[in-house]
Amino acid sequence: MITELKVKELLRSGGYIADEAIATAVFLALHMEKPILIEGPPGVGKTGLAKTLSSVLDFPLVRLQCYEGIDESKALYDWEYGKQLLYTQMLRTQLDNQLSSASDLSEAVDRLASEESLFFSQNFLVQRPVLRSFLSEKRSVLLIDEIDRSDDEFEALLLECLSDFQVSIPELGVLEANNKPLAILTSNGTRMISDALRRRCLYLYIDYPDEEREVQIVRARFPDVCDELAHQMVGFLRKARDLNLRKPPSVSEALDWAEVLSLLHVQKLTPEVVANTVGVISKHQADLEKVTDLAMEALG
Amino acid sequence: METIITRFVATLRKEGLRVSPGESLDAVCALAYGGLEGRESVRDLLRLTLVKSVADMPTFDWVFDHFFSPYPDGMGVDPADLLGEALANVEGMQMLGTNPEMINENLTLANVDAKFDLDDLKNPLALKEIGFDQLDGSEIHVQMKGVRGSLDAPRPTTMPCGEQPITVAFKPPLMAQKRDLTFSPQEVDEMDEAVSKMILRLKKDIRRVKNMENRGKIHVIRTIQKNYRNGMVPFQLALRRRRKQKPRLVVLCDVSFSVSHASKFMLLLLHTLHNRLMDVRSFIFNAELAEITEMLNTAPINTMLEQIDSGEIVDLDANSDYGKVLLSFKEKFLENLRGRPAVIFLGDARNNFNDANDWVLEQLREKAGYMLWLTPEDRALWKRGDCIIEKYSDWCDNVEMVKSVDELNQIVEDLFRNIYLEDEHRSRRRIERVEEEEYDYRDYYTRGSGMSTPTFDGARRFYW
Repeated sequence: MITELKVKELLRSGGYIADEAIATAVFLALHMEKPILIEGPPGVGKTGLAKTLSSVLDFPLVRLQCYEGIDESKALYDWEYGKQLLYTQMLRTQLDNQLSSASDLSEAVDRLASEESLFFSQNFLVQRPVLRSFLSEKRSVLLIDEIDRSDDEFEALLLECLSDFQVSIPELGVLEANNKPLAILTSNGTRMISDALRRRCLYLYIDYPDEEREVQIVRARFPDVCDELAHQMVGFLRKARDLNLRKPPSVSEALDWAEVLSLLHVQKLTPEVVANTVGVISKHQADLEKVTDLAMEALG
Repeated sequence: METIITRFVATLRKEGLRVSPGESLDAVCALAYGGLEGRESVRDLLRLTLVKSVADMPTFDWVFDHFFSPYPDGMGVDPADLLGEALANVEGMQMLGTNPEMINENLTLANVDAKFDLDDLKNPLALKEIGFDQLDGSEIHVQMKGVRGSLDAPRPTTMPCGEQPITVAFKPPLMAQKRDLTFSPQEVDEMDEAVSKMILRLKKDIRRVKNMENRGKIHVIRTIQKNYRNGMVPFQLALRRRRKQKPRLVVLCDVSFSVSHASKFMLLLLHTLHNRLMDVRSFIFNAELAEITEMLNTAPINTMLEQIDSGEIVDLDANSDYGKVLLSFKEKFLENLRGRPAVIFLGDARNNFNDANDWVLEQLREKAGYMLWLTPEDRALWKRGDCIIEKYSDWCDNVEMVKSVDELNQIVEDLFRNIYLEDEHRSRRRIERVEEEEYDYRDYYTRGSGMSTPTFDGARRFYW
């Protein structure tokens, strides 16, 4: 049995510095077999958590990227019409033989009907991500990314899958999961997720990390960024987040920036350094100016 | 442990969180799985299972701090109790050879609910509510059910502005009175929620209609391409899609004292709505006109209202002059109107006997797809005094009275639905109407023939 502390260490070994809430959520999800719904600002490591979990637990990652208009044939399963058609063509002589001995039309129809299940069998089923993760040999991590981009019909479709870990296919019946995947849903909060879906999940809100943890995150990924610089960087970014920018710099920006700074062999932040690399941390024309001004003020 | 959790959940519900019995079961399960090392860990476990929205988190933390306070002030429970009981539970179950999952079976939903009953009785607050002293046994039961019902039931979504007397007509406030023009965060949140719901409803309708529209219009080339691998048998149809267009809206809002209550809510609605569904250009006016589109996008609602109230944007001391405003709108903005926007006026059209300049409306009408006038005044008052709404209404598609936020939301929603769906339908609907007029079937058979009404005989054959 994996304990909560163990989860934290495991994640750390994969380069993901988790706080108590994240570790507890993962721990509970593993044992209670419930999906986790993660919300939070973009770039704080919602998707990263799923990726890291898949690598440290050695579960294969099955990823479903949501978008407007996604439906069951893209998410759950689909029938392979072409293959069905091809098989029908190739088996035509076989079918002819079988049917030619039939005495009348109704008998022929009966015979054909008895073979019907052949054409709607798992042979012709294309497994889409959700079904694939349910039927996989090994327990997997099912990442349903940015669920807020999908429509509410799709959300309703997921309810059955996520609460009972099964998929109902009208032609085949109910397919239950061999191994219940560790399901992780992420949302950027552009749309309210329905209460029905929330109830079926553990709810985890990942906010911007506190200063210590962010420094740890940066240093875990880029050990050649010295402690002093990491603190300086993180402190600056935390100030920038309070500036009411259109796209506040997130943890992912912090990591990008750390990479850039380490490539440039920067030892200490100065307003010039910030001005040269500002494109890494702010992604809007209007923000660039504010960030450089802040650099003059805070570091100059 | 179950008792403590159910009491905790009951407290959360009293504070307005919606926690389902299933979630409280989850919480009990989560605690039983261990990881109970100290207060913060318990908090994490309970928060993960019981709270399903960021907005509820502060409430949860507050309740948690009070409920599990070490110095009980009424309902405090020491987390140590919980820990002890949980451990005892787990140990007990291990001794019996059951695993923690069995809790699910021990603690059925009925069980949970029965416990709420007991706890409600123990809770002095609940008793105060139902006036325990004055009731005898059976009545207590009935009342109790009521109390529980009200606790469990989803809170009625009161229309945007909560406890404010919003259903009362927007009465013009006394001139001397200082206008209270700012909104509480709660009101803003509620408006946000109402608008989100509105947009959701609209999107659903629009999608349905578009799907219907698409039905049957096949894009032949793309269908063939798509079904190439199926030997050109068209299993999957490719349908023609219409070009997506973002409808436009232009709002002119009177902010003079006489309509300030209505305009205040209109501004809040606009602020919430801005650029979520369509391009909106917003103007306010009193004696002069000013565009506030940029401000709506950037400033928080209360700062904006304060700024308007201080008279920085338009002079609030002047008398409203619709004619002058229309004229300046024509000069500055009319040329730039694109894409046949829907135009909404909000105002009482009390022009203080200035020039009406309604010929501008005629020109505007040519550019606009739809024109709507909203007034907070009763129809009976329209002809009295300096009101020239009758004159303006000649050029409007519709003149509506708005008395409450409810109505305002409803009207705007209807308008949006019309704008979105109109373009799709306009041409077709017109043709249908013409056909109906040309072929009036009502007396088709009887026309000119000697027979009156159709009858049928025993063999169920019609004859004339």
